[in-house]
Amino acid sequence: MTAGDRLSMHHSEVQVSVELQTPDMTLNLGPQHPSTHGVLRLVARVDGEVIKEVEPVIGYMHRGYEKLAEVRTYPQITALVNRIDWVSGFANEIPFMVATERLMEIETPERAQYIRLILTEMARISSHLIFLSSYPLELGASTPLMHALRERERVLDLIEGVTGGRFHPNFNRIGGVRPAAGAGSAQKKVSQDLPEGFLDQTRQAMQHVRDVCDDMEDLVLGNEIFLERTKGIGIIPPSKALEYGVSGPSLRGSGVGFDLRKTDDYLPYSEFEFDVPTGENGDCFDRYWVRLEEIRQAARIIDQAVDSIPSGELQAKVPRIIKVPKGEAYVRAENPKGEMGFYVVSEGGRGPYRLKIRSASFSNLSVLPWLLEGQLVPDIIAILGSLDFVLGDVDR
Amino acid sequence: MTVSPSELAERVAGIVGSDRFSSDYGTAKVRVGRDRWTAAHEALKAELPYFSWLSAIDWASEVSVGDPPEEAVEDRFEVLSCLGNTDDGAMVVLSTDVAKDDARIDSVSGVFGGANWHEREAAEMFGIEFTGHPNLTKLYLVDSFEGHPLRKTFPLLSREVKPWPGTVDVEDMPSTENPEDAG
Repeated sequence: MTAGDRLSMHHSEVQVSVELQTPDMTLNLGPQHPSTHGVLRLVARVDGEVIKEVEPVIGYMHRGYEKLAEVRTYPQITALVNRIDWVSGFANEIPFMVATERLMEIETPERAQYIRLILTEMARISSHLIFLSSYPLELGASTPLMHALRERERVLDLIEGVTGGRFHPNFNRIGGVRPAAGAGSAQKKVSQDLPEGFLDQTRQAMQHVRDVCDDMEDLVLGNEIFLERTKGIGIIPPSKALEYGVSGPSLRGSGVGFDLRKTDDYLPYSEFEFDVPTGENGDCFDRYWVRLEEIRQAARIIDQAVDSIPSGELQAKVPRIIKVPKGEAYVRAENPKGEMGFYVVSEGGRGPYRLKIRSASFSNLSVLPWLLEGQLVPDIIAILGSLDFVLGDVDR
Repeated sequence: MTVSPSELAERVAGIVGSDRFSSDYGTAKVRVGRDRWTAAHEALKAELPYFSWLSAIDWASEVSVGDPPEEAVEDRFEVLSCLGNTDDGAMVVLSTDVAKDDARIDSVSGVFGGANWHEREAAEMFGIEFTGHPNLTKLYLVDSFEGHPLRKTFPLLSREVKPWPGTVDVEDMPSTENPEDAG
């Protein structure tokens, strides 16, 4: 008797009933799990390998910023908001600053706006580089991480050179950008501007960033395993994405070319040429590819801004004690993760009466129960990772 | 932006049948009645399919945290939601009033699936009941949490224990005495 005969005999003796009922199993993922980017718990009801239902449990990182903002003055809130999405701290400050400036009817000097724009795009590059490298890591490829983090360090060094902080710059002031030159009247006269050589170093860093994008394209997009695990997985159709408020690269991966940098005027993006990359299928691969392409576009914007940055003041004249007149304004910005907005309600006080924080990751994650239903257990991590959320941005 | 906030507010107000709209500070805002809340969202879904957020404001003249309003306001909750479209970046904030002694409003989670989490957050933070919501359980807070933190009557415990731990230099903190003296 050959091995094949034995196998076929063995096979015929096994009786499989197709009506066999297996009880649903509850699978708990997190709160501590490397792929959850913070503290997120997923409770999944699975039937074999198929997910029946997923309930994300959030709130482990809830810091109550909306309540805290009510007992803070406007200048103090800057320090709070850049801790919301800590991967792109600088970009968080912008919509809050612009909303406050609109309510106070302050005109921010052009040079300050350019510096804000350059640093926002740098924050986008550093945030996307984290995603581009950590996502393959979750799928089992560790090499891209080293390449991307090396170049991210150059960008962080530049941010640190201007603001003094790598992750939490706290650099914006109402009416402009200017690090306080320290306490005391002697130091107050010291004017601070961009550090020497910043513009040249930025040009060099952008070339490095472009090179690493090419590397990532070879390393990741050329990897067969990566393609198998992401193509056609976790498809979000455009209508669902809009209904759930999915924004940013995750929305553009679904083929909707919606970019607040093109439609809103919170920073002078209209003066620069850049494309809005969009995916075709709305799957994990498209969401990855869109972010890769966005880094190149961000580098393109920075190059143009560095060449055309005007000279002049960094700070508009503002009162010593900032009181914001009565009014309500909603300002949103295209952050690396998507739409981040602040609804500021002022009743004439030194702090806002109410501050609603609209964070991108919260809405992007809320589509997850719908998205994971009917998918396979091994795809949970691939889909979860592709949404690129930060739990600080979900919980606020 | 291809469409100005004032034109947008007027057009949206026409669709939902409201005559109260504003566009101050570039924010188009349309007020609707509480009984027309869900209907307004349904009517707007075709033109404004992008659901951005939903939240609330606790309007009160007396507050336990922060500065009170300079002028007295009518005691009420204001529920807000923000819709937009992705073609020209139009964005409008819908708003309605909910009485505090009858804090209920119809859920819009059937119209926009994304409202599900936003309504759960507003429910636990303000104590507003969203009628017809499929799963109005706590989102951020633990199940045993009592009270509604974003209500103005809810004290911020850390400030009760210790008023302000840091050094007050140029500015006073909100809700401290005589702010003008400190400057």
